[in-house]
Amino acid sequence: MPSRRRTLLKVIILGDSGVGKTSLMNQYVNKKFSNQYKATIGADFLTKEVQFEDRLFTLQIWDTAGQERFQSLGVAFYRGADCCVLVYDVNSMKSFDNLNNWREEFLIQASPSDPENFPFVVIGNKVDVDGGNSRVVSEKKARAWCASKGNIPYYETSAKEGINVEEAFQCIAKDALKSGEEEEIYLPDTIDVGSSNQPRSTGCEC
Amino acid sequence: MQEPELHDLSDDADYAASQQHGSASMMRSDSGKHSSSSEHDGAEVVYLKDNVTIHPTQFASERISGRLRLIKQGSSLFMTWIPYKGQNSNARLTERDRNLYTIRAVPLTEVRSIRRHTPALGWQYIIVVLSTGLAFPPLYFYNGGVKEFLATIKQHVFIVRSADDANVFLVNDFQNPLQRTLSSLELPRALSVANGQSTSVSVGETSSDENQERTSGDVYEGSISSSQYNERQRQRVHDPARDLSIQVLEKFSLVTKFARETTSQLFRDNHSNGYGAIERRSNNLSPIDYPQKASNDSNKVPDKSPVPPDSLEFDKVSLVWGKPRQAPLGSDEWKTFLDYEGRIMDSEALRKRIFYGGVEHELRKEVWPFLLGYHAYDSTEAEREYLRAVKKSEFETIKKQWQSISPEQAKRFTKFRERKGLIEKDVVRTDRSLSFYDGDDNPNVNLLRDILLTYSFYNFDLGYCQGMSDLLSPILFVMEDESDTFWCFVSLMERLGPNFNRDQNGMHSQLFAITKLVELLDIPLHNHFTQHDCLNYFFCFRWVLIQFKREFEFDKTMRLWEVLWAHYPSEHLHLYVCVAILKRHRSKIIGEQMDFDTLLKFINELSGHIDLDAVVRDAEALCICAGENGAACIPPGTPPSLPVDDYGLLLYPQQELDDVL
Repeated sequence: MPSRRRTLLKVIILGDSGVGKTSLMNQYVNKKFSNQYKATIGADFLTKEVQFEDRLFTLQIWDTAGQERFQSLGVAFYRGADCCVLVYDVNSMKSFDNLNNWREEFLIQASPSDPENFPFVVIGNKVDVDGGNSRVVSEKKARAWCASKGNIPYYETSAKEGINVEEAFQCIAKDALKSGEEEEIYLPDTIDVGSSNQPRSTGCEC
Repeated sequence: MQEPELHDLSDDADYAASQQHGSASMMRSDSGKHSSSSEHDGAEVVYLKDNVTIHPTQFASERISGRLRLIKQGSSLFMTWIPYKGQNSNARLTERDRNLYTIRAVPLTEVRSIRRHTPALGWQYIIVVLSTGLAFPPLYFYNGGVKEFLATIKQHVFIVRSADDANVFLVNDFQNPLQRTLSSLELPRALSVANGQSTSVSVGETSSDENQERTSGDVYEGSISSSQYNERQRQRVHDPARDLSIQVLEKFSLVTKFARETTSQLFRDNHSNGYGAIERRSNNLSPIDYPQKASNDSNKVPDKSPVPPDSLEFDKVSLVWGKPRQAPLGSDEWKTFLDYEGRIMDSEALRKRIFYGGVEHELRKEVWPFLLGYHAYDSTEAEREYLRAVKKSEFETIKKQWQSISPEQAKRFTKFRERKGLIEKDVVRTDRSLSFYDGDDNPNVNLLRDILLTYSFYNFDLGYCQGMSDLLSPILFVMEDESDTFWCFVSLMERLGPNFNRDQNGMHSQLFAITKLVELLDIPLHNHFTQHDCLNYFFCFRWVLIQFKREFEFDKTMRLWEVLWAHYPSEHLHLYVCVAILKRHRSKIIGEQMDFDTLLKFINELSGHIDLDAVVRDAEALCICAGENGAACIPPGTPPSLPVDDYGLLLYPQQELDDVL
């Protein structure tokens, strides 16, 4: 029997190139910010243990390339997602306008069972830039869009300064947890060679 | 002559493979002209190992143990293996067997090669192939000692590691090691030994034209006809899984099989390695530790290590690699490739030279334009100077196209603004840790931007795509001149442009080719990927898109690129590099049953931990092993091939692509 039971929660971060997806992920998981991030090629993910009501969960956060041209790859990475984070740069109208594309593209490629109620979280990043003077997307405008898409939770963050990042991801984790059926998996510390270590759903453990 | 010359062949596939020239000369291996074991006057035993054992049948319980010795007499070295008396493990093995297998003093001058097997689990063994083509049965070293055995030989005899199989050591004959090993493609001859000596079950099938030279007399004459042997042989012949002849009825499967076998020796070849890896897992190593850990392991004695070292890393001591990497091409040597007007006289020799050693950094500026195709190999110095001048002005013209866009115009030119924005975002995060690109307002970063923007006008359809800045950065670093850099980049993009196509066609065809190559070269790994839903090979996406730029340090990347651009031995060597890296980690991937996510993470974290020379060497070997069948895995028009025509990729079965991707 598994000594510990955890739940894997898969989160996908989407948004235009350069809005700060990698930075947000690293700020949340590693509490670090670097000016030397490179443009993400392909995809990568980080994991973080989170605790909710005495239960341990593994948050698996996927960071993908932001250029539209790579969107066709999404199909390989989006499947099984429990929550999708849409990120834009508050200093770039284009990145905000594109949120709708990202949302729709995600729903097409991930094809969740209940697209209407699939949890998204929107993050407006880079609020620190130029003391907010270069900001072009108002909070009001962003919240209005979120409301129109089924009350998507909205956070404004600075991955650089670590502002509001923890809070945003708390919400992301919570929403991921609520999302549809939980996929309980057994992540053993040591693997029994004779048996498969494939994820099993709770349904199988009767 | 009483000695039965035929030994029962193990059904070990490698053994069969090593038998290339098979039977024709079974008779003469130790037919009396060598001294018997008791006649070593003035001889010195330079190596002695007890409990060296043969398994005459497929059953490990049936074995004959003996003592292996290397004996030096005068300037000659002999090998003997004498079974112990009365210690046969099984009553079925008779005294006759003992005599049958005894290796009387064989001079090393008559040994062509020694194939070493150091499996992860189980015993190490060697197969000694004589220059006549005869091979002795595998000698299992129950107490280890293969390494010392080879090292001892090396002290006395000229021995060299085969270029295309690191576990094959060629003795005496290394004039053309490649040809030698490739000749083992002619497997049927080897099989005819196995089949011929027993019943006629599959002789008819295998004695096609390839082994006409084998006369049945060779096989049967003077050899055992004992029913015991026939019986034993029949067991194997009737076991379909073990009947090699089934697999070699046609040339294709034959070559495929050879490729697999050869490469499975190149790399640790069984999944059982993974068990060790799993044990180690309890140490809670972070993934980033794995590569280092693995290389640390290679210093240990293989049979004591829970995860045996990669066979390629094994015994770094002294044995010479078949084709070691060379020192980079320097300017003196470079001049020898040029005629008095500056033409490159033998471009193939140059490319080969660069493949094996790369180019000294100071010389890259001169050499890269040839490799990339900006300069023609047969152009004269004067012609190149002229071309550069013409191209410089052409570059300036294109550059002006975007430079002349006024702010007012830009306001109404969304595509331009977006493109510029994307490029600006990326150049400031390209190799900024390099002093060449670091700091605020670095002029080289601006050059990157200008060149990429100019390129996006030169090739407006393709435009700018992420990854291009990674490809451009080393070129600017080497060429320095803006126009030269631009045109070198243009040449590179002629080949790699399809990587960035909107439909991702170029990427898909390369990833698909890797799928096929792994299927060809490593069935168990392929099966693993199939079972774990990894066949899209997206975990290789970054490798392929930007030619491993993110996987190596900057200077290593430049070295790898010039090696790849040499287009030797294949234009698509980068695909074999992918396979080589995967193969290096196959036991971990399979043993830990990595699923897609885990694999992607693992691959991403290999970055900075890949041994460049080793994987290039592996890739070369894989490419040679795969031969035409490897080339057949790579559809026409697959980058970096120059496009043959606009519809090159349409030759590609789209249906098949869709199935996989």
